[in-house]
Amino acid sequence: MLACVLSPTGGSARVCGFDVNEEPAKVRQRVGMLTENSSLYERLTAFENLDFFAKAYGVSNKSERTLRIRQVLDFFELWDRRGDKVGCFSKGMKQKLALARALIHKPTVLLLDEPTAGLDPKSAKEVRDTITRLSRNEGCTILLCTHHLEDAESLCSNAVIMNKGKSIAYGTPESLRTKTGGPPILEIVLKKKDSRVTESIRRLLPNEAVMEDGPKMLVSIDDESTTPEIVRCIVQAGGLVLSVRVLKPSLEETYLRLIKQADEE
Amino acid sequence: MINVRKVALVFSKDWIEIQRNYQVLLPLLVIPLIFAVMLPLMVIGSTASVPAYASSEGLQTLLRTLPSHVVSEIAGMTGRQAIIYVISVYLFAPIFLTVPIMASSVIASDSFAGEKERRTIEALLATPLSDGEMLLGKMLVSLVPAVLVTVGAFLIYSTLVDHFTLEMFGGGLLFPNVTWMMLIFILSPAIAFADITLTVLISARAKGVKEAQQISALLLVPLIGMVLGQLSGVILLDPSLIIVIATALMAIDAVMFAASVKTFGRDHMLARLT
Repeated sequence: MLACVLSPTGGSARVCGFDVNEEPAKVRQRVGMLTENSSLYERLTAFENLDFFAKAYGVSNKSERTLRIRQVLDFFELWDRRGDKVGCFSKGMKQKLALARALIHKPTVLLLDEPTAGLDPKSAKEVRDTITRLSRNEGCTILLCTHHLEDAESLCSNAVIMNKGKSIAYGTPESLRTKTGGPPILEIVLKKKDSRVTESIRRLLPNEAVMEDGPKMLVSIDDESTTPEIVRCIVQAGGLVLSVRVLKPSLEETYLRLIKQADEE
Repeated sequence: MINVRKVALVFSKDWIEIQRNYQVLLPLLVIPLIFAVMLPLMVIGSTASVPAYASSEGLQTLLRTLPSHVVSEIAGMTGRQAIIYVISVYLFAPIFLTVPIMASSVIASDSFAGEKERRTIEALLATPLSDGEMLLGKMLVSLVPAVLVTVGAFLIYSTLVDHFTLEMFGGGLLFPNVTWMMLIFILSPAIAFADITLTVLISARAKGVKEAQQISALLLVPLIGMVLGQLSGVILLDPSLIIVIATALMAIDAVMFAASVKTFGRDHMLARLT
């Protein structure tokens, strides 16, 4: 709907200041879209695909068009394969070419629908890295729709969690994790279990929970800045620290918790 | 407002795809081969044993079913001449209309239902191209090759028939004639356009190319009726009947085109993607 491919059944939305109901052509002109399927013409070459879409988006000047095609194909490291038919490309290459197509007209907004779906881990990482480079180099707003929460966690500056078509949470991935997943937990692994160490931490943080699991200790903390103080306390109590790690709920855990809460309500 | 350049853009993209798609190219080459080469050769070859003079009783019975003006056209011809003349000039006329129907059906179903099947339509619908520009570009890329194939098949057919009958008819050419010129240049485009609009309507609902092709082949049914009508002497494709059929077809084309424009809307095309 935001790409003006489908009409909304109700409500309204504005993209780049244009109403999707009243000025769909202006919205389409400013939006680049990557669908879940690469939607490329497999009998055309990579260059022919981009040339067609550049013309369709109104890049009518031939030299300008060729220059832009070269830019995007260079960016995605596909310039050497420009003359090859898309049908012989790997899935990862197709996805990169589909991203190149979405960028061919220098859109203000880029809509990416499941960009890493169905890709092998190597290709998925390449696409993720490319999206990161894109947000830096192209300077366009990227709206990423994904079920891969590690993608959202590593790529997005802001995230909306949707449940049954409704927004149930909005914020940075960090703030969403903190808000819904509770405070972080410090995991400390000692060389050997020492009750003096546990006692000294309880004295330092009388209001926080401290749990022991053999040589491993879990300490609930308000924020990470208290970590050096806790480590110093352990060392002063004669403890030998093997490792210290701050455990935070992942975005996936946050997501599952939020969805469960929303369903219960 | 339809931008002609954008229509041409859709046309040229689909045109390149057709040229590289053997599933589309092969029928486009085979159909004229069957109708323009094999059929006339079979008729000319199989009539070699027909008696020299139209005196046998069976032949007389067959010729009696023909309309009077055809009978007068073949008056004075030998039996073989009469059979070849009637079959190649009159009986083959409605059969030949299969060429534009099959050609347009193959291309249109690939262009419309094929884009859905291959899911390339999503990116196409996201471009600023208007519904009208996409529809017109795709209709033209189905119509133009269908008409070209029909004209090409007609040229081959008429050249072959003339070549093999030139001596038999004492130097007289059977083709071109008014009936066939009207058939090829008026009726064929009208019937191809009807098939394309039907394919657009079907493609909005069909899941794939094969389903669209099978349903659009329904247009062959009235054609078969016309062939049977010709054989039984009930109807005869002459210039006046061609004008009547073409006028009716153009009216149907206009209605179906309006329905196609409605059907080809973005919501319709994408909502049915499964």
